[in-house]
Amino acid sequence: MTAAVPPPGLDRARAVIRRGTVLSTLALLGIAGVYVLAAAFTPIEARQGVAQKIFYLHVPAAWSALLAFLLVGIVSVLYLWLEDPRLDRFAASSAEVGVVFAAVMLTTGPIWAKPIWGTWWTWDARLTLTLFLFFLFVGYLSLRGALHDRRERARFSAVVGIMGLVLVPFVHLSVYLFRTLHPQPIVLKPSAPSLPWEMLRTLLVSTLMFTLLYVGLVTLRYGIGLAAEAREAHDAG
Amino acid sequence: MPAEPPANAGYAVAAYAVAALILLLYFVSLLRQARK
Repeated sequence: MTAAVPPPGLDRARAVIRRGTVLSTLALLGIAGVYVLAAAFTPIEARQGVAQKIFYLHVPAAWSALLAFLLVGIVSVLYLWLEDPRLDRFAASSAEVGVVFAAVMLTTGPIWAKPIWGTWWTWDARLTLTLFLFFLFVGYLSLRGALHDRRERARFSAVVGIMGLVLVPFVHLSVYLFRTLHPQPIVLKPSAPSLPWEMLRTLLVSTLMFTLLYVGLVTLRYGIGLAAEAREAHDAG
Repeated sequence: MPAEPPANAGYAVAAYAVAALILLLYFVSLLRQARK
């Protein structure tokens, strides 16, 4: 009697999954720490009150989402050139994680807008472009789910990923290019950040933790994709 | 005397809860997929 042989490549996939799980767990614990830091050790903004603390989640989530979509676009360009399946696997992982961060951005934003602007939503340039970007990547993931030929799926989705790359700078610059209710950047701008140190510190720690969570979740998702491909190849051959 | 900040802590609590829910649900769904 012989034991069932695991598909080749599955061990490597499991190692990637383990790494992603550890990184994501650490980042989530770090974000729990950010909750404490924001609630207890960061001053209340005088004009906006406690609702301003949504800033420490909304901005890092937006940063991670835009980083994710930017990397999907860059990697998609590289895929069309090099046709390396690792690039496609990374793009798929980054797009999925980006959509999750964009969901955080698009839910925390209106909850912050209601007490400050007096409305949950307004169809101005920044908000509308961000919503378009979100739908573009939801479409990207739907396209991936609809195509079964691996190379065709990678090529078609790379084209959609590059469209996202074109949209990302517009989202960032929309507050300069158009009249909008949304505030202009207070950290990622040519002059020094206009924020008291205690607030900037909480924002930077949160951004670091969200970036770590992005890396962890993408690693985990990449490992899951790798394991699925190893099983598929084993079953087919 | 400076004015008191507006009382709107409920919005902050709601936003923090929603963000935690989205991130944790996605993480758990990935862990379930990884275990398959």
